[in-house]
Amino acid sequence: MPIIKASHITKTYRQGTKTIHAVHDVSLEIDKADFLVIIGPSGSGKSTLLQLIGALDRPTSGAIEIHGVDIMKVNDAALTKLRGSSIGFIFQSFNLIPTLTAAQNVEAVITKRTPHDRKRVLHVLKQVDLEHRAHHLPSLLSGGEQQRVAIARALINEPDIILADEPTGNLDSKTGEDIMRILSELNAKQKKTVIVITHSDYVKQFADRVIELKDGKIVATHQHTSHLA
Amino acid sequence: MFYLRYLWAELTRRWSKTLMMTLGLAMASAIIITIISVSQSLSSAQDKVLNPLQNVGTDIMVSRTVTPDEITSLDDATKEEALADNRITTDFSKLGDPGESFSNDTLMPGSRLTFASSEAEKIDTSLVEDYAGGLLLNVVHQEGTIPKLAAEIEVGGQSIGFSQRFEMSDEDRQAFADAQAKAMAELKAKGIDPNSEEGRKLMFDSMPRPSQTVTGEVVVPKEIVRQEIGSFSTDIKTDNFTLAGVDTSKTAIGLILPDQIVEGRYLENSGEIVASRAYAQDKGYALDNKITIGGKEFTLVGIVEPKLYTMTADLYTSLTDAQELSEREGKINVLLVKATSADNVTRAGENVASLFTGAKVTDSSDTAEEVTGSLVSAANLTNKFIGITSVIVIIAAFLIVSLLTILSVNKRVREIGTLKAIGWKNALIVRQILMENIVVGVFGAALGVGVAVLAIAVLNQNNITLSATIGNSDIGSRLIRGFMGGGQADASVVADVQLKIAYSYLVILLGSLVAIVGSIVAGGLAAIKSSKMKPQEALRNIE
Repeated sequence: MPIIKASHITKTYRQGTKTIHAVHDVSLEIDKADFLVIIGPSGSGKSTLLQLIGALDRPTSGAIEIHGVDIMKVNDAALTKLRGSSIGFIFQSFNLIPTLTAAQNVEAVITKRTPHDRKRVLHVLKQVDLEHRAHHLPSLLSGGEQQRVAIARALINEPDIILADEPTGNLDSKTGEDIMRILSELNAKQKKTVIVITHSDYVKQFADRVIELKDGKIVATHQHTSHLA
Repeated sequence: MFYLRYLWAELTRRWSKTLMMTLGLAMASAIIITIISVSQSLSSAQDKVLNPLQNVGTDIMVSRTVTPDEITSLDDATKEEALADNRITTDFSKLGDPGESFSNDTLMPGSRLTFASSEAEKIDTSLVEDYAGGLLLNVVHQEGTIPKLAAEIEVGGQSIGFSQRFEMSDEDRQAFADAQAKAMAELKAKGIDPNSEEGRKLMFDSMPRPSQTVTGEVVVPKEIVRQEIGSFSTDIKTDNFTLAGVDTSKTAIGLILPDQIVEGRYLENSGEIVASRAYAQDKGYALDNKITIGGKEFTLVGIVEPKLYTMTADLYTSLTDAQELSEREGKINVLLVKATSADNVTRAGENVASLFTGAKVTDSSDTAEEVTGSLVSAANLTNKFIGITSVIVIIAAFLIVSLLTILSVNKRVREIGTLKAIGWKNALIVRQILMENIVVGVFGAALGVGVAVLAIAVLNQNNITLSATIGNSDIGSRLIRGFMGGGQADASVVADVQLKIAYSYLVILLGSLVAIVGSIVAGGLAAIKSSKMKPQEALRNIE
């Protein structure tokens, strides 16, 4: 059973008198432990598709099921809960809270708080090799370090799905490689479902499957038999 | 707890925003506390002046006051009484020979006519809790050298003639008629015609008179009166002041009260005198000084700040001393009355007014009408503007804090969007923003209270004095002062009230609430805005 199932989803926006089809009649299924890369030029609908399969938004038409939950049939609170428990987000601009330290940024996401939260946070930071920078503010961290904090934050609730929107977009190639290696390891070792939006050809090599979008439609799907570990 | 650490991090690491919001709220809170405290203190000071009666334990004041308008319409007896109470006669001939020094005091009740203090004993005790009499006297003090060129006026010496005719009774008239008939018969018997000249003469001589007229002359004894008239080019100095006789047996009601003594002590014995602070300063009096009035020497035992502003005197003695000096034993000209309850004030006034003719009752509403001056203007001003000022301050503070909160939320769009994306519920975001604003509100309130307390202390240290001018309708005093050319012709009393600004816990609570509630409302608006924000829109805005 697919972990995410999108059937004929369409997302339209009104722009003045014009209707923009950001995503147009897209259907796809993503299984557990898949590593999916979505590519396409700017304005092709990549980010919109990511928001729909990440339960940040609802499609104008069509249906999406995440973990068997039809996001068209549940309210915003249920979507929030679903995101908190099942999906970890990684953003291009890292989106860390500037007033919180690295550890606090990770801790902020914990949905079910326990007395062991701090230990858990340090453990997750250790996974991304940032334990020693746990008490630094984001402004004192490099771009790569900030993105690793964002990965740690995405992992703290142990979600099945990790959605990364241009995770290497603001990083140099060496740092970008490090980030992709971490994501790849998470996919390979922890069986996380990883969905990455990217412009980068380099990123594609990590994917089981690459979907190419153009004008909101899937124009090509490339299946990889193996990816770099 | 994470949420508290997040809160603390937000407040301390965005310290400039926190500081701006805290200062804005503190200013609003401080302004509200200060202006309400000033206004309340002004009202309290105004109440003391507008209702001076309560300062002396009195609800109503009873007197027989003659106003200039009334003087022509008085009955003859009262008019004579009023004139006697205001008449000054300085007969130098009785003070000594020309060239000799003299000192003379004339004590008059002025326009407040006297009445027997025994009248007060008829007061209905079910309506009146207590009362105290007083005798207010205008004193004209003259001293200097008896002028050599005093006018000598010769009076008397007039010769007054008079004539009085006494009528006859009916019996006398009958006897006269009988005598006339008899005389006529005798004349006729003698052969004399009664109508002839000889007959009429004989008739007149032999008969009794029908009426009798007494005539006389009185000569008024001549006397030379040496009297001052008009102004003199001598060293005669005239001074006038007011002296009040106080019922010293009462300590809770009276023209002055023991707790109004600011230096020395209250009157205890005969021969003691207390001076008002203003008069003592003017004259340079100190405790234990000797003051002679009407030939009697008094010892100054105390300095008083009289609070019955509509009826202050320069000097105060015991009632008995004042009565003796003015030769008005058993007389008073003001009666201070305390009713048994607030509901009985009107009835008590009516009861007392019915005890003697011409009684006039003064209550707090009458005294309030007589007060003008900076205190009243300031109080009226604050009463008028306190509401609008408070509203403006609250709105301004609210706008500042709302603006800062909303600006802060706008700056945190990415943060709020991210929190929503990663699973923060709306309620959690709203709570976090509200908690930040509550803490800022509490800080603002605490700082505001501190600033207000400091501002009030500074204002109090500056000894702000407001004056209230209380009209004085004492026509006698005014006439005397005008005529003698001494003192002020305007007899109104200026009461200086030092503004002591006090703040109550209620006002501090109100000022604090302005900051806290203002901050919560502003935070609420920002929280509503952020809760309506969709995570994908928040992320799209910044990506």
